Amino acid sequence: MSVIREHTQATLSDAWRTINIDALQEDSSVNFDTSTLHPPLPEASEPEVRQLAGQVRQLLRGGDAEGALRGCLESPVYSNSSELARDAHLQTVIEVLQSIKASDMTPMLQRIYASPGGSECLDVLMKYLYKGMAATSTASGSSAPRTPTRMTPQQTGFSQIGARPGAPTESTGAAMSVLLSWHEKVVEVAGLGCIGRVMTDWRRV
Amino acid sequence: MSQSLRPYLQAVRSSLTAALCLSNFASQTAERHNVPEVEARTSPEVLLTPLTIARNENERVLIEPSINSIRISIKIKQADEIEHILVHKFTRFLTQRAESFFILRRKPIKGYDISFLITNFHTEEMLKHKLVDFIIQFMEEVDKEISEMKLFLNARARFVAESFLTPVRLCPRYSAYRISRSDSPLVRLSQAGYSGRQGNHICI
Repeated sequence: MSVIREHTQATLSDAWRTINIDALQEDSSVNFDTSTLHPPLPEASEPEVRQLAGQVRQLLRGGDAEGALRGCLESPVYSNSSELARDAHLQTVIEVLQSIKASDMTPMLQRIYASPGGSECLDVLMKYLYKGMAATSTASGSSAPRTPTRMTPQQTGFSQIGARPGAPTESTGAAMSVLLSWHEKVVEVAGLGCIGRVMTDWRRV
Repeated sequence: MSQSLRPYLQAVRSSLTAALCLSNFASQTAERHNVPEVEARTSPEVLLTPLTIARNENERVLIEPSINSIRISIKIKQADEIEHILVHKFTRFLTQRAESFFILRRKPIKGYDISFLITNFHTEEMLKHKLVDFIIQFMEEVDKEISEMKLFLNARARFVAESFLTPVRLCPRYSAYRISRSDSPLVRLSQAGYSGRQGNHICI
């Protein structure tokens, strides 16, 4: 029997071209197990994170901002935990960061950096700064998709609908500027190596 | 430079400087090939954590580092529809000339307006701090460029509208009255529609 006769309409389609055959091979580089690149991560459940957030808030209310910051940086919630727990912890960190005055940032970071285990703390802080910027920009982006219909009309004098443009961006812009000024201070204190460790560390927050 | 732009550019500068640590790395999938790993994505262990730096929800930079290449994507500020069109035209103009820009990517990644791809061969040929300066300068200039183009566009639109309407506006009242008595089809039509307002319906 000829080989050609076995072709049916289904096998003649070119869907097979999109199959990544490298991924089917077990020893292919695509199938590298990245969990071997980091130590086993502690898993945190959402109630634990909420409890920690409560303690951190209590410290904040008591005026111990440094203790609050250290408290939430020493127990980061890594990528193996649930999405809810990670987001809750991010919110806690951002809340602490926003409640600290700009003039207190550098001395506080220097004290944390000098203390034992302080370098790791600042690495974790840097991870949360990047995550905070990514989360805030995409979360607001998904709720208000940038389609031409949603865009505020240009104020040329022809259109009278001119709503105040950028009204919702003001709050996110303020949150971002807090994170950006923290970013600047952390780089000042801990150096560029801090960013390098954020990129290369597989314990992602 | 405005107050919030400085820390934003500073954060981009320090992140880029830290991320531009590239070394030669041959492809692990195809023998004797050398591809940017951040594009090929065939080896997950050489892709590093992507970093996002955002100024607000409309302005952000995504840096995707890997062992031999980094990809920088920029979302340019677009406050309204005109700026959206201008940014699109501007980035299109640049990406069509990508071969003379070396590090410019022909197509931006999804959600961003323009992307750059820097490989280890670029960092070997060019100075690292100059590359970082170029990106920062681009980000500074592009905002200025877009707002300048927008002002220019508005001025031109106003001028065009004025010169388009000039012949009608210069028409004196008495001649409008005379025209309305004439037999031109337009005037007859307008007489039928606005019979009560004869004499000044052409004047604006």
